[in-house]
Amino acid sequence: MSELDQLIEGAIALDKWPLARLVRLFEDTRPEAVAEKAAAIAALEAHGAGPRAMVAGFTGTPGSGKSTLVGQLAARLAARDAAPSVAVLAIDPSSHRSGGSILGDRTRVHFPVGERRLFFRSQPSDRELGGMGRATYPVVRLLERLFDYVFVETVGIGQSEVEIERLADRVYLVLQPLGGDQVQFMKAGIMEVPHAFILNKCDVGAAARRSYHALRASIDFARPGEAAPPPIFRTSAISGEGLDDVLDDLVAHRTVHDDAARQARDRYFFEKWVRDEYGRFGLDLLERQGGAAGLLAQGGTFEGAQAAYRAPLDPFAG
Amino acid sequence: MSSPTDPGQAPAQRLPHRLYDAEGNPTTDRPWIFRTYAGHSSAAASNALYRKNLAAGQTGLSVAFDLPTQTGYSSDHPLALPEVGKVGVPINTIDDMHQLFEGIPLAEMNTSMTINATAMWLLALYIGVARERGEDVRKLQGTTQNDIIKEYLARGTYIFPPEASLRLIAEMYEYCLDHLPKWNASNICSYHLQEAGATPVQELAFALANAIGVLDTIRERGAVAPDRFPDVVGRISFFVNSGIRFIEEMCKMRAFVELWDEITRDRYGVQDPKQRLFRYGVQVNSLGLTEQQPENNAWRILIEALGVTLSRKARCRALQLPAWNEALSLPRPWDQQWSLRLQQILAYETDLLEYPDIFDGSIVIESKVEELKRQAREEIARIEAMGGIRAAVESGYLKSQLVRSMSERVSKINSGELVIVGVNRWTDGLPSPLLTGEDGGIFKVDEAETRRTLEALAAVKAKRDPARVQAALAALEEAARTGKNMMEPSIECALARVTTGEWADTLRRVFGEYRPPTGVEGQRLYVDSDRVAEVRRRAEEFVRRTGHRPRIVVGKPGLDGHSNGAEVIAVAARHCGFDVVYSGIRLTPEEIVQSAIEEAADVIGLSILSGSHLDLTRQVIEGLRAAGAGDAIPVIVGGIIPKDDHEALRALGARQIFTPADFDLADVMSRIMDVVEAQAGAGAR
Repeated sequence: MSELDQLIEGAIALDKWPLARLVRLFEDTRPEAVAEKAAAIAALEAHGAGPRAMVAGFTGTPGSGKSTLVGQLAARLAARDAAPSVAVLAIDPSSHRSGGSILGDRTRVHFPVGERRLFFRSQPSDRELGGMGRATYPVVRLLERLFDYVFVETVGIGQSEVEIERLADRVYLVLQPLGGDQVQFMKAGIMEVPHAFILNKCDVGAAARRSYHALRASIDFARPGEAAPPPIFRTSAISGEGLDDVLDDLVAHRTVHDDAARQARDRYFFEKWVRDEYGRFGLDLLERQGGAAGLLAQGGTFEGAQAAYRAPLDPFAG
Repeated sequence: MSSPTDPGQAPAQRLPHRLYDAEGNPTTDRPWIFRTYAGHSSAAASNALYRKNLAAGQTGLSVAFDLPTQTGYSSDHPLALPEVGKVGVPINTIDDMHQLFEGIPLAEMNTSMTINATAMWLLALYIGVARERGEDVRKLQGTTQNDIIKEYLARGTYIFPPEASLRLIAEMYEYCLDHLPKWNASNICSYHLQEAGATPVQELAFALANAIGVLDTIRERGAVAPDRFPDVVGRISFFVNSGIRFIEEMCKMRAFVELWDEITRDRYGVQDPKQRLFRYGVQVNSLGLTEQQPENNAWRILIEALGVTLSRKARCRALQLPAWNEALSLPRPWDQQWSLRLQQILAYETDLLEYPDIFDGSIVIESKVEELKRQAREEIARIEAMGGIRAAVESGYLKSQLVRSMSERVSKINSGELVIVGVNRWTDGLPSPLLTGEDGGIFKVDEAETRRTLEALAAVKAKRDPARVQAALAALEEAARTGKNMMEPSIECALARVTTGEWADTLRRVFGEYRPPTGVEGQRLYVDSDRVAEVRRRAEEFVRRTGHRPRIVVGKPGLDGHSNGAEVIAVAARHCGFDVVYSGIRLTPEEIVQSAIEEAADVIGLSILSGSHLDLTRQVIEGLRAAGAGDAIPVIVGGIIPKDDHEALRALGARQIFTPADFDLADVMSRIMDVVEAQAGAGAR
């Protein structure tokens, strides 16, 4: 058996070490890794491991207790009767001009040791302010073939919300009490994206109640005329209050991207990849090659399309 | 003839350079309390040590507890086992406490206990011993350290979240006020802040803001009648550090005295000047003690002792000195005796205690003190504006300030701006004859003592009344849930022979456990040199070659919470282009293994200061193998690791060993990079 086959079989069994090394392959953004990633996706398909996860996005301000909350939600979900498997991909904004980063989200997450149905991976964001890293989408493409749920945790307010909306089937915005008055809630322009809101740290009492009403009012103002206003969950990581309500909401909205949706998602992230790697010139080139949709059809998979796009650029390509 | 010493005769005139008692007779001061921070192996062994120290002229006890006792685990808990008796005495039940103080009358002793998260429990055990012996509980004198803020910031033996922790402290004050009037329920510590890198201004501001936080909490609870509140203020005491810049340190102490007088008067309206006194004990600085040329530390300790004794107005109430070889290992009894002799010479041979304050009237000192006070007031105001000490802890502000100060200090040592003799100047020295004794100048815990501790624990569990235990624990839980004072229920637990682990677990159920911010995020290191640039270049080369950035998991296994070393390495590694997974302290070896595996780390850095490095390193390396990673993730170890153990560690599989002698961060990172590159060369993805 080849090394890749061994990794694939181990990863499908949710054996942590081969799985972690396979994630490392999908974090590899070098051109020379494209072929190997395409081979891995093909091998997963051959083993019947197609995309099956619901992808949930959790975003919010630093200090909202998001990491702790996401960790607890994942552990609680895995402990439910259906015993689903859950992977958490935590994007950490702490990057440095040296290129290095401190990945601190793990500090706040404690999964039972040796539990295969729970997997936690840290990833640096490429930007100081958060959002996704270059490797986020490729790794999600891997994890959604191996787990029932993939939780993606990002920090940030602003442009990253659009990306998480494209990536996830359901987006939760985590806020803390006194996170701001009504005006601040609206100014940030973040009210329009999330499917649901989580007011965390509700053990704080009166402040939590005030914030709840302020938030409710802000949402009504920012999103007028919505048939069903988005839910606001009040949670406490200390008492565990509200966590099951969030999970009920998550499970009730469990959807997995259908083919059309997946294709749209691929197109979006393919264009993003071209823009990030090759800039405006690259986008022009993409148009001349038939656009993202054309290349994706031609390449068969996201990775195949990446290989096809690069082929005329790469002097070493076969 | 009018000699001022003639009895019954009023002195003709007072001389400014002499001391006079209340009757106007010339006098000299009494010395401060001499203590030695001590305790190890078992209750019996520690008791023998205490009796020896008291016989040698020590005048108070300072009890060091082992890490399981400090973090609320009984000795038979898996997390506890490697740490039992390592850095202090293990106390599981009241019977261990009886053993610890055998032959020492409690009512006549002044006992200081370095105990925090479980302070209420240890005080309950102490009271329990006094009750069972028939001693007068009201006469108990001493201190429970009981300062949780600095545990979050620097020392790491916290258990519960801030709110619950502050409640435990407040309840002890409330209880002691009525039942143990001479007991200091807590000791506001700035000691550990300096160890964590705090500047004098930070030490002043953080400690005073901390004291304000405690007093405000007690006042808001309303359990103490307003007319008795000044008594509470009068019980606040401090535990301070004294560093090598001894003139500034002396000025810091004067600033403390003056600021505390101001705060107690203006904020709390305390009228009686006695209740406004800044009462403090000291342990002089350990941070500056060096592994290189360790005999030099004897001079450092002497100079640091002067900083807290020279100025009469700001002289400590109690002093404990570290031993010259602390950077090498835990001190041996002889090392501690040597430090005690220093205190005795200073107090009894010199003329120090014959004079009033020798700095009064110095414009230089006054100006320096004023500057410190001004800067400290500004910092206190900043903390107040954030919502006080608790908010400043929870937001990570204080921790990040300390990590920054520490990074700056390390940067200055690296650049040579901060001179440390024997470390970055005059590093060639003759070998020290002090290290050539049979034991190599270091102390080792006798493993047989751990077995005795475990046997004693099993024996107590076998003979105690289970019904009484259950009832006592239920009453404790009830009090914790309903907001009733937990002191009496804890004493009943002690008498019922509840164990340390059972007491703490009951409260864990009610309050939960807490993990404070690590403070490393967003920090910078001010080390830029060609050698750092070289490590970064190698990191970039590694990225090109392997497709991923070198990733290090920095972990502190075990119960030891001294995280400064791990934090500096985390910051330095990022500075050199690593992705750093830092999960904070008190992790099991299994948790570190799981982090390293899930993150597909290129190297694991373990930081261990408790003396348990052999056990813990073995557990991590075996854990990696059990998880199927074989030897694919190399392990390096840093901490206070005696030379004798290096070979054994390497035999276990440790690829690099770092000790306090490795202060040059560029060199440390370069050696870590060597390990990472060698591994990447050896294996595939």
